Amino acid sequence: MKQHKKGLIVWAIVVLALLGGALLAGPSQRTETVQEAMRDAVLHNVNQIGLFGKAVNPGLISALLVTAALLLAAALIRVFAVPRFRYQPGKLQLLLEEAVGLFDRMAKNSSPHRFRFVGAYIFAAGAYIFVGTLFELLGVQAVTVHGHPVTLPAPLSDVNAAIALGTLSYLVILSGGVAANGLRGLGRTLKEFSLPISMSFRLFGALLSGLLVTELVYYYVSLSFVLPVVVGVLFTLLHALIQTYVLTMLTAMYFGEVSEPSPKKAKKASGGEKPELS
Amino acid sequence: MPWPLNIDPQQILLHWMNLAILAGGLYFLLYKPVKEFMAKREAYYKELDGQAQDKLARAEELKAEYQAKLDGAGEEIRQARARAQQSAQQSAQEQLDQAQEQANQIVAHAHVEAERVREQGLRDSQQELRRLAEEATRRLALRQDPFDQFLDLAEGGKRNESR
Repeated sequence: MKQHKKGLIVWAIVVLALLGGALLAGPSQRTETVQEAMRDAVLHNVNQIGLFGKAVNPGLISALLVTAALLLAAALIRVFAVPRFRYQPGKLQLLLEEAVGLFDRMAKNSSPHRFRFVGAYIFAAGAYIFVGTLFELLGVQAVTVHGHPVTLPAPLSDVNAAIALGTLSYLVILSGGVAANGLRGLGRTLKEFSLPISMSFRLFGALLSGLLVTELVYYYVSLSFVLPVVVGVLFTLLHALIQTYVLTMLTAMYFGEVSEPSPKKAKKASGGEKPELS
Repeated sequence: MPWPLNIDPQQILLHWMNLAILAGGLYFLLYKPVKEFMAKREAYYKELDGQAQDKLARAEELKAEYQAKLDGAGEEIRQARARAQQSAQQSAQEQLDQAQEQANQIVAHAHVEAERVREQGLRDSQQELRRLAEEATRRLALRQDPFDQFLDLAEGGKRNESR
């Protein structure tokens, strides 16, 4: 009990010392106003990073890092964990099976006629959105082309990344429609012409709002205590879960809708009987 | 003319490439192997379930078979009991017949013996009668003096008493 009290006292002293140090040190020399910081968080046209001689948005660097991290983790799991899978799973195996099973079930339920391809796609998209959103919590630093340090944001807070994911999801839906129903599927998909825009800007808006709030909170030192725990961690976790669910569910649902066989085709395939959707 | 919102088609293509690499990599490294394993396990448990169902069906068949055998055994026991009863009755009847025959033989033998004894007795009595007749005849023929007779008889009585 005494040891616990001592530990608590030491922890409180450390916290107070850090707080005092932060307040005494004062704000760092700002290179931009809050308005400029907000504007750059939206447009990413100032703090760009060099990639193979071209200045790109920090979101692209974040996206490449997230992809590299995910592929590395997947390769390690494939080499070390998958061969040791047992019929009675351990914790890691359970987690992996649940993640794969979740998207597989989502694909099967939303698109019962064609679910293999869309299952694999929404698994990758879900992993990308979830890990990419949590990536901003790490606060990975990079240097801009102007030599200033910048914290890498979530990939999808870059409008280009959001548009890329939204349009790619739309192309996946389109491919499902064409593969299942040919021109009819193409028509059905094109009918939903607003889908790529809505999906892109939904992602962008959701991630950007989180980014803006975080930027604002961290811009002022006085807001940097306790509040980031709620704003930074909880909001980001919620964003990650919600956006993952929304995009994957929408993609699977629209894929299922456009790839559903037409009544004539289904009747022909089942020999006049009702198609079995289970 | 620059795109609004700093949209850059080149960066969008780079994001597409990035997503394509990610999707392909995750599919081959994680999604497919895990799904295959899950399918393998499902098949394994389905097979186990199938085997259990087969065993259950076989056990049901065996149960029915043994039940039929049990029912058959009851009938068999009843038949065997009836056969044994019949055999016992037959054996008892045979013994009775045999005893009756023996009794008949004994009775017949007794009749024969009795006849033989009767004839023997008849023969003996005839001989005795013949002997008595001869004796009487002889006595009559050699009739003596009554006093001598009396004496002879008396002597004969004494002889009998002294024995």
